[in-house]
This record gives sequence, structure tokens and C-alpha cells, in this order.
Amino acid sequence: MKLRPILGYTAAGATLLVALLTPFLLMDSFSKGFIALGMHVDEVYTGGPKVRTIPMGAYSIDVHRPVYPHMLQSEKPFVQLDWQPVSALPQHISDAVDIDGDGQPDVRVSFDVPRDPKAPLHVDVDSLNPRYEAVQHAGKEKYSRLIVRVDDAILVRVPLGKP
Amino acid sequence: MAREYLHMAAFVSYGEALALGLASGPACLAACGPVLIPSLLTERTGFRPHARYLSAFLAARLVGYMLFAVVAWELGALASMLPAPRLLMMGVVYLLLACVLLWYAYSARRSCAQPCADSKLVQIGESRNRGVAGAAALGLLTGLNLCPPFVVAGIRAAQLGSMAAALVFFLVFFLGTSIWFVPFVGLGCIVRNQAIITVARMAMVLIALYYLLIGIAMLLGKKTYGY
Amino acid sequence: MATNARTLTLTRPAPRGILRSLLLTLPILIWSPLMLLFSPGSSTKPVWLISSAITALFMTALFFMMMRTHSTYHWRRIFFVSLGILFPIEFIHNLFVMRGSMGIPIEEMIAGRTPFCFMPIPLLILPAAFTRTLVFPGSIIGGIAAMVGLWLALTLVMGKGWCSYACFFGGIEEGVAAIPPRAKIRKLDPRWRYVPWAVLLAMVLLSLAIFEPAYCMWLCPFKAVTEYVAARSTIGLIQNVIFILLFAGLVIALPFLTKKRTQCAWFCPFGAFQSIFNKISIFEMRIDKERCKPCLVCQNACPNLSLSKESIARGETLLSCMKCGACVDACPRQAVVWHIKGTQIAWKPERARLMFLYAAWAMAIMFGGTIIAQGIATILHFVV
Repeated sequence: MKLRPILGYTAAGATLLVALLTPFLLMDSFSKGFIALGMHVDEVYTGGPKVRTIPMGAYSIDVHRPVYPHMLQSEKPFVQLDWQPVSALPQHISDAVDIDGDGQPDVRVSFDVPRDPKAPLHVDVDSLNPRYEAVQHAGKEKYSRLIVRVDDAILVRVPLGKP
Repeated sequence: MAREYLHMAAFVSYGEALALGLASGPACLAACGPVLIPSLLTERTGFRPHARYLSAFLAARLVGYMLFAVVAWELGALASMLPAPRLLMMGVVYLLLACVLLWYAYSARRSCAQPCADSKLVQIGESRNRGVAGAAALGLLTGLNLCPPFVVAGIRAAQLGSMAAALVFFLVFFLGTSIWFVPFVGLGCIVRNQAIITVARMAMVLIALYYLLIGIAMLLGKKTYGY
Repeated sequence: MATNARTLTLTRPAPRGILRSLLLTLPILIWSPLMLLFSPGSSTKPVWLISSAITALFMTALFFMMMRTHSTYHWRRIFFVSLGILFPIEFIHNLFVMRGSMGIPIEEMIAGRTPFCFMPIPLLILPAAFTRTLVFPGSIIGGIAAMVGLWLALTLVMGKGWCSYACFFGGIEEGVAAIPPRAKIRKLDPRWRYVPWAVLLAMVLLSLAIFEPAYCMWLCPFKAVTEYVAARSTIGLIQNVIFILLFAGLVIALPFLTKKRTQCAWFCPFGAFQSIFNKISIFEMRIDKERCKPCLVCQNACPNLSLSKESIARGETLLSCMKCGACVDACPRQAVVWHIKGTQIAWKPERARLMFLYAAWAMAIMFGGTIIAQGIATILHFVV
């Protein structure tokens, strides 16, 4: 039966065509198709979407939506706060932040802003609302409790306490 | 009237338990998957062996749930278990799980790929007559695993006022999660051969090594990524 | 009954004429500069132009030799080893330029700037299916999506040929395996072949359970020559030690002792994953049972242990075949042949080989060739 060899050679020819079209068309199409699936990078890494900005004069604090890690991840739920731009920050920050937007401060965040961008950062968080956990001298050991400098912002993650 | 009110309250609570269990099912599957799937793959082909395996696994898992509920209720720790003892307990469970997985992988070397005269599930322990079904041992240990859905169920159960009510709450919660395990009987239609059984046994060893390392780290109080 | 391979006379076809070889190489001669020098976004800096030109000539010359000598493996290996050496050079150099270290700091992970290689692809599937979440600290646009698109295209073309024409890690061990004249360890337990599948199963299940790319966090040997998560805890330190030990053992020591690609054959879960796509790949190796007198030369020649006595008796390779061509080139009776599924075995096998090589080499130039050019450019930066 000659149909099978014809199909075989047709498929082989199609493969060659795929190879030729890949750099011009297919790779881009496949990538866009993947993007269209609507997936997102795990918020434990990204910190979740920004929901509010609190103006603080020369700088501002971006408040992100709380991140609830998936059930078996060994991270606690947390909320990320971004201080930016770093260039406008004073040498020492001690800000009372209203995270949930109810007009009452929820935490007081304190950290030094070193001039050297590579210098390690440490943060203390006093809890003014039991919904948020206090943090003492945290660095960047855990995704759910850290302070890091990313580009022109200083990110602080405050773990959520028990509901 | 009061009795009807109590009945309604109980109905609502147990409905809540079922809903919580159903919602937590995927998480339970994900947690149990590394243990369940390789061990299921070492069993012989056929729906019956898989149904027997899952029955033993889930029954032992229920025993694990109930054991924890009783002990924690007696200690008054059902509502809130401090992080340090919780970490210690999880470390011990992980170590036991690793040991059982390794033992299971070793015991499964005599596993039949096709239906054979021996109808027992893979037994851990040298003596076939006195061995424990590996499925039960694994089920018990996964039942003791303090995954977040289980902790949430524990907190809710502790609010019910009596140990009996808490146990029933856990039972209904368990049933809700277990529904998600039923489709795994379908793994019985995958034809087994020595290659699949060998792969499954090797995977169990790798997973056991992971649990071993994490368990030791927890017991030593070392920071795992996250804890 | 096995025949002593040393008493056989190797009968290879006579070299193809130079003109005919050049004609067959012509499409590659056009494709190479198109991909390397004239593709949109290509740099016009002299260093890049020189390195691209060198690479284009290199790839074209290798293809010419494949045509002239009728053999594939030796010339493909030169490309592949070059890729395996030059990729880490270029990659590590970029890391030191960007951040001064091979360690990925958490800041980079939070910013979504962790480079995405193809290895985590099978690990991301279940968490993504359950929660539409990618458990990798990279960026989707330009990073993860680009690699997934590339992987899909190359896999459609070559199936597990990825491991012979695209993987920028395999060349390291292939190069190490080529060094000693003969293997010091020859008896290899065939059950080791199951380990990649076990690693794949374990890592896929653990990745779903812990919501992290478990293989990348715990078992990837190539972290030793690319980048690794900077240790923030004792566990992180243990992870990094595991990477180094696995690299030393699976990528250096064992290939040297066995002359096999031991990391690929005995460990790599991505290779096991790619093996599945050999089922849909139209190209394969087959054995003409009429010509074959099982001497097992092909089995000994296979760097990936993808031939067994049973599979040879059936006239086929195992699912793990990387389409490297070693078995075809080694067979003294030309019984092992390139084959297009559906066609008659050993009927015009050279046609099947050519069709595969045009497709595979085109993709190799596009992907691996670009990496080689970048590596050469990096070296030229230092030298010039």
C-alpha cells in the first residue's frame, strides 16, 4: 500500500517546513500562544499586583495585594510594600503604614537606607494590627519575610498573622 | 425546637466540613502524590488491586487523622499548635515517611507485574504473613502530615464544643478530601511491566531521600526554604 | 551469536564527490548567514559580525563533511561539544558582567530576571494545570514564553533529537567521553536506563507538592557551570554541594570512565520527557534485520545506551534514542539506517538522513549556532 510512504514523506517534508518557518513565524506564534494561556508567575516570587500607592512626599509606598501561597508551599502569607524611588529616601525610614486602607496604621516599618546599594538591608516591623506579624531584624532569608533592594525600590514583605 | 436547632447547627457544621474537604482535596492530592503514585505503580495491573490499595491507604489515613484529633483535643492543642512543636512533629513524620518509603521500595522488589497467585498488596517487613500492607503504613503517615487544610479543619473542629463532634467533623472533612482519590483506581489500567515497577521503586527512593533531608532539617531547626 | 567486531571489515560507502557534496550543502550555506548575520535584531558590531561569520563557516563546513563522508556522528559531535564549551563561557561571562557572581540573588528572582532554561518545562506542567501558576521566578514575556515556543518548535522537528542538536549542556559530557581511547568501565547494568524516568516522576510529583521546580532546586548538575540560587540557609548550601557532586560524577567522572553520556542516559529527567516525543517524531533509526548479524557494535557505539539485544532483535532502537547517528556510522554492515516512519526500512536511507539533517541542522544553526557565535564573541572581547 503506497499511502503510508506518501504520508511518511509528507510528514517529513512538513517537518522540514516547520524547521524553516520556526525562526520567522512559528517560534513567535508558539510564544504568543503560550502567553495567551493567561498564566502568571507564582506570586510568592513576584509579590502580587500593586493595589494602592501611599504618597509620602518625595517618595511613595506601593501596597501590594496580600499573597497567599498555595496550600503546600512552606511560605507564610505576606503583603509586600515598596518604597521608591530609593534616591529620594532619607537615611532612616520609620513609617506607619495603613496596609488595608481603613485609615488606621497597621504596621510601623523601620530600616536604614545605606548609600552603598550592595550593602545588606535589615528591617524591623512593629505590628499595630494583629493581622500582621511583627518582624525583628529580618534580612532576606525567606520569601514571606524580607527586605531587598530591587532596581530603584526597597521591597519589604510583612507576614500575615493568624486571621 | 431546641433539638431542631441543634440538628440544623450540626448539619451546617458538617456541611462546612464537607465543603472544606472538597475544596482541600486537590491540595491533599498534591501532598500525597509523591507517596501515593509511585507506590500505586508498584502494585499489579488491575482495578481490584488498586481499589484495595486505596482502601487501605485511605483507611489508615483516616486513622491518622482521628489519632491526631483525639490527642490534640486532649492536649487542648487542636485550636492552635505552636510552631516549634509542630515543626518537630512534622520532622518526625517526614523521617518516618522516608523510612517507610525506602522499606516499601525494597519490599516491592518481589512485586508481580501481572495478576499472580499472591493477591496481597506489597507488604513491608520480611515475613509475608506478618508484614504490614505498605499502603496502610504510608496512609497513616500521610494522615499525620500537618498540611494547612488539615490545620484549618482542626481549628474549626475545636470550636464545636465536644470531642465527639470534632471527630465527626474530621470524618466528614476526610470524606470530602477522599473523593478526589477515587479516580486513582484508574491507574490500574496502566499495564505494568518490570520497567514501570523499577521506575516507581527508584522514584520512591528519591522521594524518600528528599523527605529524609527535610525531616532532619526540621528536627535540627534549620531553615528550610520558607520555614 | 555475536561476532567479534574486530574481525569485521568496515565497509563504508566511498566519499561523495566534492561537487555533489557542495550542492547538497548549498541550502545550509544560504541558511547559516541568514540566521547568524542577517536575522532581525542581529548586532552590527564588528566582534559579532566576525564571530557570526566564523560560526556560519564552521556549521557549513561540518555539514559539508557530513555530506562528503556519509557519516553524521563525528561531525555532529564537534558542533555539540563546541556548544557545550562555549555556552557556559558566554553565560558565566554575562553573569559576572551583570551581577558579579554566578549565584542568583533573591532580588533577581523577585524581579523575574532568572534566566529560564528548558529543563523545568516538565516540572511546570502540573502546577500550571492545577492553578495556572508558573512556579519559576522568571518573566513570561521574552523569557519563559520564548523558551517554550522554541522548545515546542524544535521538539516537533526532532523529538528527542533535541538532546543531540539543541541541548547546550550535553556537549560537555560528550566531549569528556571522547577523551579516553577506550572505556575503563564496560559492563553497564541496563537498569540504570530507568533512572531518568524515576527522576522525572519524582521531580514532577515533588514540584506539584512543594510548588517549586524541584529538579532545579535539588538535582540539576549544570548549576555548577551556569547559575545557582545563592545559599541563604544550610539547606541552600546542601543544595549547592549536591549540584557540584552530581556534575563531577555524572558529567565528568562517569563519561570519562564509560565513554557514555551518563548524565543523559542515567539521570536527565528532561531527556526522559523528550523521549515521549520520539513517538510522534517522523524520523527514527531502524535496523534492517536481513543485513543485521547481531554483532552489537551499534549497541557499544551508542552514547546513550539506547540499543539493547532485545531492541536490536526487534529491529529498532529504544525510546531514548537521540538520533545522533553513532549507531548508523558504526554498523559494519550498514544495517542500522535512518528511517522515515511509514516507509520501507533501508529503502533509500540516505534520503531519510538528508531530510532529517536539513531540518535538524537548520534548527541547530538557529539555536546552537547563535550560542556558539555569542561564545566566540565573548572570547574575542578578551583577546582583542
